[in-house]
Amino acid sequence: MDTTSQRVPDAGAADWKIGVDIGGTFMDFCALETLTGRIASLKVLTTPDDPGAELVTGLRLLAVREGLDPRAISRFVHGTTVGINTILQRKGAELALITNVGFEDVIELARLRMPEMYSLFCHRPEPLIPRDMVFGIPARLRADGTEALAPDMAALAGAVAQIRARGAKGVIVSLLHSWCDGAQEAAVKAEVERLAPDLFVFASAEVWPVIREYERTSTAILNGYVHPRVSGYLAALEARLAGLGVPARAMLTKSNGGLMNAVEGRRDCVSMLLSGTASGVIGAAWLARQAGEGKILTLDIGGTSADVALIVDGQPQFGTGEQIGEFPLYIPSVSVSSIGIGGGSIAGVDAQGVLRVGPESAGSTPGPACYGRGGTRATVTDAMAVCGWLGHSAMAYGQLRTDVALARAAVAALADQLGRGVEETAQAILDIAVSEMFVEVEKLASRAGIDLRDYTLMPFGGGGPMLGAFLARELGLAKVMAPRRPGVVSALGGLIADLRGDFIRTIYADLDAAAMPALRDGFAALAREGADWLKAQGHASAALLKLSADMRYTGQSFEIEVAIDPDWLADRAAIARAFHDTHRRIYDFNDPAGRVEVVNLRLSAIGAGPRLALPETDEVAQVARPARQVTVHLGGPRDIALYDRADLTSGAQFEGPAIVAQEDTTFAIPAGTLAHVDRYLNIHLTPTE
Amino acid sequence: MFDKMTLQVLANHARAAAENMAHTLHRTAHSAFVKETQDFTVMLMDRAGDTFAVPMDLGATWYPGLTYGRAIAMIDDYRPGDVAFTNDPYSGHVATHAPDTHLWKPVFVGDEIVAWTGGHIHNTDMGGAVPASLSRSLTEIHQEGIRFPPMKLVKEGAIDEQILRIMSTNVRKPDLNIGDIKALIGALNTGERKVRAMVERFGRQGFVEGVAALLDQAEAQARDILRAMPDGEWIFADYADEDSDHANPCRLKLTLRIRGDEAVLDFTGSDPQLGSSLNVPSGGDPRHTILLVGVYYVLYTLNPKILLNTGLTRPFRCIAPEGSVLNPVAPAAVGMRSLTCARLRSVIFGAFSQAVPERMPAAPAGNNCIVNVMTRNERTKTTVIAAVNPVVGGGGGMPHRDGTNGSGADAAYLRNTPIEITETEVPVEFVRYGLAQDSGGPGRWRGGLATQMAFRVFAPDSRITARNRDRSFFRPWGVLGGHAAGLSDMVINPGTPEERRLGNIDTAVLQPGDVLEIRSAGGGGRGDPMAREPWRVAQDVARGQVSAASAARDYGVVLWDGKVDEAATAARRAVAPKAGGHFHFGPERDGFEAQWTPAAYDRLTAILAALPIHWRFFTKTEIFRRIGVRVGAAGVDAAFAEVCARFPDLPRPAEAAE
Repeated sequence: MDTTSQRVPDAGAADWKIGVDIGGTFMDFCALETLTGRIASLKVLTTPDDPGAELVTGLRLLAVREGLDPRAISRFVHGTTVGINTILQRKGAELALITNVGFEDVIELARLRMPEMYSLFCHRPEPLIPRDMVFGIPARLRADGTEALAPDMAALAGAVAQIRARGAKGVIVSLLHSWCDGAQEAAVKAEVERLAPDLFVFASAEVWPVIREYERTSTAILNGYVHPRVSGYLAALEARLAGLGVPARAMLTKSNGGLMNAVEGRRDCVSMLLSGTASGVIGAAWLARQAGEGKILTLDIGGTSADVALIVDGQPQFGTGEQIGEFPLYIPSVSVSSIGIGGGSIAGVDAQGVLRVGPESAGSTPGPACYGRGGTRATVTDAMAVCGWLGHSAMAYGQLRTDVALARAAVAALADQLGRGVEETAQAILDIAVSEMFVEVEKLASRAGIDLRDYTLMPFGGGGPMLGAFLARELGLAKVMAPRRPGVVSALGGLIADLRGDFIRTIYADLDAAAMPALRDGFAALAREGADWLKAQGHASAALLKLSADMRYTGQSFEIEVAIDPDWLADRAAIARAFHDTHRRIYDFNDPAGRVEVVNLRLSAIGAGPRLALPETDEVAQVARPARQVTVHLGGPRDIALYDRADLTSGAQFEGPAIVAQEDTTFAIPAGTLAHVDRYLNIHLTPTE
Repeated sequence: MFDKMTLQVLANHARAAAENMAHTLHRTAHSAFVKETQDFTVMLMDRAGDTFAVPMDLGATWYPGLTYGRAIAMIDDYRPGDVAFTNDPYSGHVATHAPDTHLWKPVFVGDEIVAWTGGHIHNTDMGGAVPASLSRSLTEIHQEGIRFPPMKLVKEGAIDEQILRIMSTNVRKPDLNIGDIKALIGALNTGERKVRAMVERFGRQGFVEGVAALLDQAEAQARDILRAMPDGEWIFADYADEDSDHANPCRLKLTLRIRGDEAVLDFTGSDPQLGSSLNVPSGGDPRHTILLVGVYYVLYTLNPKILLNTGLTRPFRCIAPEGSVLNPVAPAAVGMRSLTCARLRSVIFGAFSQAVPERMPAAPAGNNCIVNVMTRNERTKTTVIAAVNPVVGGGGGMPHRDGTNGSGADAAYLRNTPIEITETEVPVEFVRYGLAQDSGGPGRWRGGLATQMAFRVFAPDSRITARNRDRSFFRPWGVLGGHAAGLSDMVINPGTPEERRLGNIDTAVLQPGDVLEIRSAGGGGRGDPMAREPWRVAQDVARGQVSAASAARDYGVVLWDGKVDEAATAARRAVAPKAGGHFHFGPERDGFEAQWTPAAYDRLTAILAALPIHWRFFTKTEIFRRIGVRVGAAGVDAAFAEVCARFPDLPRPAEAAE
């Protein structure tokens, strides 16, 4: 909370916009009072037994503390984990798959390659639809979309009878080459709906009509798998909001960093699987642009994992093939890499006396030992507490306390095994945790072909600021920027996000003169779909349509996405040039004489979100005054300054080592760094020399 | 001494450097071999040229224990910016067939070389007798493309254009080769930069000591695994179906001796070097990585946290007699050594399966068949050459889980190509692509099913190659009562009057409308199938993975309308014969070994080992030709006597060889 002053609600003039994001332990709120530009933030412990109850608690608390009137909420944006948790916990709907006879093993074979390729015990995840619920029917399209064999409706009827007999709740229809023409699939879907009106049915091409049968099928399955739960959750959410008198309709954050309304969310469930992680990056990008930073490495550390993403020229990066638990997701998503190290990662000693950290995690229950909720094994958070970085103030808006004695006891058990000191062991745990993140971030950078040293690290989430500066140093990043409210960046991201719908059409054509009409027709059709979608979201004002194409050289088996200027639809050479240039930028070479193919056309329809500005105050250069001195372990005990975040005003400066304590996180600042507070109250770290 | 407590920090930095190299290569390479098949490796090496870090995400699995030392030593006077290379399987024993081009680069700090970065790419073609440079029929290395012994390719930062010109003149796709080689040079430079950063982070002394500690750590982990195994000697042999085109089996034999924390892998008794390209050029190095790939799988399976580096190889010593299939002398051809390497791995798995039966799976399918099609696109009037899917089989039954279906174990790195992509690019139509019923070895834990793929062509004289096909006669074995798996096969027009079974043949010519069906072997079963829970068997039947007939015959499970008939099942299982012996090989190998008993084959390899190397394969073929119905060692002696009589020039083996 920024202020504790009580305000009398004034429903007439008041207007609030709310972003809400659910994590593993907390529901985060970011509330903007439009009139004043004031932002209030809050965290509430989640209530897994009664999802949605924490929403009511949070809005009530905001009413009491901030004077928020639910009837004055004009915008309500929500990021939810209900979809992804359904997959992680495998609690989704029982489904059946209808596909072509002869290809019933499509989801079990997947793309063959498995993780852990050195292990004789490597295995693929159990498919979400068991093989005995997969039904092949005679039907076949050719690669050019012509029908070689019409669907055998008698066989289909037999399959549907079996599907009903076995109690499936929904049906996925995925037929070969429906990327080219969805009519055959649509006919089968219509027949299934006619025969079994009580079952929900999704056809693969209507979910995401991309070429590559496994990827398209598995995306459609994920959609159907989470559909009943997501749909139920959203209905309950809307009822709660209505009950509180909130006039705004719920909007949902999507994996692509944009928004859709809840009606759309019940049908297009697969689009929101990464909603929280994506909106974190959107929020971070917005904060970075505001502060004038173009190249950012985001670091969002929670209890079990650390999510990292790149922001280039102030923009999040997009990709397909993000991992949802054990399954890949092939719709456009904000690129986020998840690392299996978080504040709750457990440390241990192996048979050869080498210390290791993770991937096992104490999670949110029991959590780190120092939280006093039953955990006894040493975690990264405990190591931070032993080293003296944590434990000086309450955390998470007063909902958690850190018991250093419990942390010491947990770390001491390992120190005994190693025959080393407790602080020394704790420091080693931190060094190893940071080096585990180092590996994954280095991989991310080399995949993207960038030089990380040009980047600023932006830590957020509850644990990001705890380890962020140490990771930056290991990576050779000179600059760190910690936002004012690291704990609610995802909620902020939802608050400021645009409506965004993505559309794809596979055309698979050589980029020659003959292909240009197909390109123009394809984009025109996508533009109509995009405009219709925005209209359905209730967006009336101007829309932005972004065009791109997935292209490659003939003979390559992967594509790269190239942004297309609408003017180029009459200029084939310009499109080819953009591809050659992009290819060189990503792969360091190109072949201007090579034949180019266009595989997919893509379009994003964007309806701009609210234009916000953070309150800014002119910087007044001053040396910050610490709240007190605390002892940390830096190779030996040392007294360092602890600052209260609320005391750090624009223009304040101080040197590390230091600690900044605030309600939603603790920012650990190593020695050799200069901290500076900017006009938006971000803290920037730079090396002292 | 490097502080062992925080060794993981250095290990992570080393791995990050290796992953960086891999991503750089993968991102900038030109050929599908590197980009899609990921047939490449990169590594960091210590001052002696021993690998201390490899990537875990990308690339092939063969070389974490590779040492470049011998090749490094064949060039003197390294300077900063130099890059050396070789693709010659007979110089330095780094490359193992001509398409594999290995590069290495010194990392200087001041005047001192503190490390090397290195790696290999599989070039699409290195010239020689056939496109892609690989064919089982080739008989000497000179037919397998141009070879470069170790030499500098880049001198102080300047690439030697003469070498590239010579290569370009001799290979079929020079642009791909050179593009990939330049990408690998870029990866080596990335690795060099990262090593320098590590030296800065840990200090020169700290880095050098730390690298030594990483090798020691892997060695200690490997020794711990061996120490936990019982001491003893275990013998295992396995066969490749053919030692050349349309010919005789090729046996690989291993005697594994574990004493304390060390192991000897003695391959004496394996076939002589072959007159085909199935030879594995190890150079007789007792720790050559290509002999130890199966060991890496075993160690990693037993401890997934093991560091993969040359330290792992230290407790092991291989004996591969000169002139044998695992240590051929020049000019033996080696292009198709992958097929033999798959058998080599299964021999190692079989030996360790006896040492620690409770912890090892049954045999994986072990035929990593790569299918290529050359046909005509009637619409565009062009000839299309394309790789279709790999046809591989499942993993072996595991101690607590069924073998993975369709792929797994030592084939888990392979990827397939979507049907929709292939059909769009290549004028073929798939009839089916899926799992083959009853192809997994029955067991308490069933072997993984085989992949089965069938497609139709539309143009005359469409040519298909199916490289690395094997296991069409000798099945992947089951263990501990589990049964051997189904065989691989290749059939033209299955289920029609024109059906033609091709057995182990790896090429086919198809005419318009013809359908070719290729099936891999499956994975072996583990444990008594009569002990498999009936509900699992019923589930397998419901999923179409096991037939009702096999459920009754192999598992003793009687089903009525999909439900287990408990009484009938119990009755059937009560009278089922108990399986005996550690391994189950199936009728084909049992039949073969009724004549070619282990003693007979031992006699054969002993006779051949005593002959001059260039007489061995000839004599083996002649003995097989003449043995007729005779059995056992005496039968071999009699056949050999006939060979000696027919070929008086044959040098008689020294009496000492008896």
